Amino acid sequence: MEPSSSLCWNCQKRTGEEHFCTGCGKILPQRPGTDYFKFFGLPRKLNLDLEDLEKRFYTLSRKLHPDNFHRASPREKLLSLDKSAVLNDAYRTLKEPLTRAEYLLSLEGQKMEVHAKQAPPELLEEVFELNEWLAELKMAPPREGQNGHLAELRRQLETAKTHLQQRVEAFHQELIAIFTRWDAAVDSGNLDGQRQDLLEELSKTLAKRNYLRNLIRDVSAALAGQAETRNSNVEIRNSETAKGH
Amino acid sequence: MAPIVGIDLGTTNSLVAFMDKGLPRVIADEDSGALVPSIVSINEQGQVMVGMAALERLITDPRNTIFSVKRLMGKGIGDAGQEIELFHFPVAPDSEQVIRLKLRDQVLTPPEISAHVMRKLKANAEKFFGEAVTQAVITVPAYFNDAQRQATKDAGRIAGLEVLRLVNEPTAASLAYGLDKKKEGIVAVYDLGGGTFDISILKLQEGIFEVISTNGDTHLGGDDVDARLIALVLTVLKQQTGVDWSDDERAVQIVRRAVIAAKHRLSAEEGTEITFRLPDEKRTRVEIPVTREEFEELVRPVIDRTVPPVRKALEDAKLPPEGIDEVVLVGGATRMPMVRRLVEELFRRKPHTELNPDEVVALGAAVQADILAGGTTDMLLLDVTPLSLGIETLGGAVAKILHRNTTIPASSSEMFTTFVDGQTSVEIHVLQGERELVKDCRSLGRLKLRVPPLPAGMARIEVRFLIDANGILNVTARDTRSGEQQSIGVKPSYGLTDEEVERMLLESFEHAEEDLTERQVIEARNEAETILRATDKALASPAGGELRPEERLKIDEALDELKAVLDSRDYALIRDKIGQLNQATLRLAETMMDSAVKTALQGKKLDEVQ
Repeated sequence: MEPSSSLCWNCQKRTGEEHFCTGCGKILPQRPGTDYFKFFGLPRKLNLDLEDLEKRFYTLSRKLHPDNFHRASPREKLLSLDKSAVLNDAYRTLKEPLTRAEYLLSLEGQKMEVHAKQAPPELLEEVFELNEWLAELKMAPPREGQNGHLAELRRQLETAKTHLQQRVEAFHQELIAIFTRWDAAVDSGNLDGQRQDLLEELSKTLAKRNYLRNLIRDVSAALAGQAETRNSNVEIRNSETAKGH
Repeated sequence: MAPIVGIDLGTTNSLVAFMDKGLPRVIADEDSGALVPSIVSINEQGQVMVGMAALERLITDPRNTIFSVKRLMGKGIGDAGQEIELFHFPVAPDSEQVIRLKLRDQVLTPPEISAHVMRKLKANAEKFFGEAVTQAVITVPAYFNDAQRQATKDAGRIAGLEVLRLVNEPTAASLAYGLDKKKEGIVAVYDLGGGTFDISILKLQEGIFEVISTNGDTHLGGDDVDARLIALVLTVLKQQTGVDWSDDERAVQIVRRAVIAAKHRLSAEEGTEITFRLPDEKRTRVEIPVTREEFEELVRPVIDRTVPPVRKALEDAKLPPEGIDEVVLVGGATRMPMVRRLVEELFRRKPHTELNPDEVVALGAAVQADILAGGTTDMLLLDVTPLSLGIETLGGAVAKILHRNTTIPASSSEMFTTFVDGQTSVEIHVLQGERELVKDCRSLGRLKLRVPPLPAGMARIEVRFLIDANGILNVTARDTRSGEQQSIGVKPSYGLTDEEVERMLLESFEHAEEDLTERQVIEARNEAETILRATDKALASPAGGELRPEERLKIDEALDELKAVLDSRDYALIRDKIGQLNQATLRLAETMMDSAVKTALQGKKLDEVQ
């Protein structure tokens, strides 16, 4: 879906520009069909040069920030406020690999479940055991050294947690690999053929990683002696991922 | 048009500054210099006094004098309990949404009281520029919530100022620092003021000041240090005199003043005495020695409260203490050696202390004012919202829609629908805070969406929550089915309504006229008193005895005429009669030996003689 060009609200000239009219220089509203990548003038690729992104962010901030529009018309002030909000959200989303990947998935129209409720199949047994230990720990009030069995339980959970953290790191590496393949497909023009597969892989890997991250969080909390009553595997908003538009 | 000014509305002192050919400058007050005490008092004539004039009245008329009102901004009586206890503010009824204080026969809200302080700053600036000042940038603690920010904006408006921007105090300080140093890197600003503590971590690069994280405590400052000292002194007094002075407001203020002076001395000296005179019949002189060590031990718990916010800010910034390149100290309380030591410990480096901690925030505000005016073009502030924004969900939980430390402007859109067939309104409860439950967060207000009557679940109203560059929430709603803007009724939980602010602004115009006249009258009367006294002295002196009869007659006549008009409110007339007496005593003045009386006769104020 290509973003359309539209008429400038001020000088009526047809413009395909993202931010400012080439005719009169006035700030433009959000282009229909635009996205965060286009906002920064970047291709829809998954590996990003963060320094370059930051430079673009600073440049756009200077141009779009409400501070520059203090003496402008009310309409321009509103537009600058809007666009700055989008700019900040876009930067925040694209800066982190995970949110960037999730954003791409949503852009590509994938209503995929990145917050899985089920454990990754290859880890089912491990997770099952860990959940049993967790339940046991949560039921008994954790008092240091009081109960030999509890101490053993804590040790087991610590070991399991470390192991899970290694798995998370492994998933992260997998994600980067998928990123690279996606980018290669974009560069070679083969994206259409591989698109669906890559997106599915991306979605699944993200889901597994997120599941494990939440589990690790539960374990940490339980070990710290807090009772987590929320079922954090079904988090709707509260994770470290930002919301995209 | 006068420049846009930068105003630091502080808990203890306030300042106004502007950008003067590329360098920020503070505009001094004729009585108090750069710092105007944030104190407001109302005297027997119902006249409002601000700053230095009100400072003395803390002791002489404590019941009608307010200090540290910043601690009450944006609060209702429910959440100001700590403050009220600490400072015995005279609270009036109807204080749930906004605290109302009773001063003489007036009931004033914190924004109105702050407006009086700002009006003085405005007047000083106008006198300096010789023209009207109508626009300002005002600073707020970074950790101020929405209601506290709105209250500050309201105060500016009531003072007759268009508030172009609210700037966070640490960020403003970093502007002044960055302008000065032109350095790049990660800067931490540790701002401990009279009533609030902020810690902000910023990245300075290519003229961009990007806040990475911010944290703080809006109930923590120099006032709390003072409170400990005051409590100690009152305890000692009780032990030694058997009298409990804590209910005597005059005594408490006398002790407070003495304690603050001692506190300041202890920053330079290893030991001192807290000295004052009790307001008893004998005016008993009290001297309590205190060493710096004792002082530090006493106030350590207060200073230690700054540690958790610092740790959280570093955590949110994902930085170790070593990752900070420079630490900038802001606020008078950072002059304390123990604070400097703590900062050095926390960040493993010596803090930057070259900037004046009292003025740096106002100077930074002036820089921001200049950025808005288009004067400074190579600097830009990218600030963040300090608190997460959330909406109430089923079961009294809070769903976060914008996280703390999100760069502003920031927005988030949520879709709302109905639960019941034909439902025509949807209510949304908006909150700020990091906790999971509604009861632990700060209620901002309730929104009411008007929805077209439809079967349950059919309506699609998109609500956009936008936090603007001031850190204040703006909400708009759109029916995505019709594409129409929806009307939103907003009922804020705390603060003044727009109507109240308008009314206060109009009232201030009326009072301004009265106030001006009143001041003229008082000044004229004061001058009259001075010259009357001087004349009496001169007449009683040897020179007076050598007057020729017709001269003496003229002087007596002029004296009578002046005395006759003293009680009138016609200040022009009083001045007229003063002039007449001046004329009559011209030759007498010339023959006077006593130079003090002589210069008084010649129309100068006694304390200007040097």
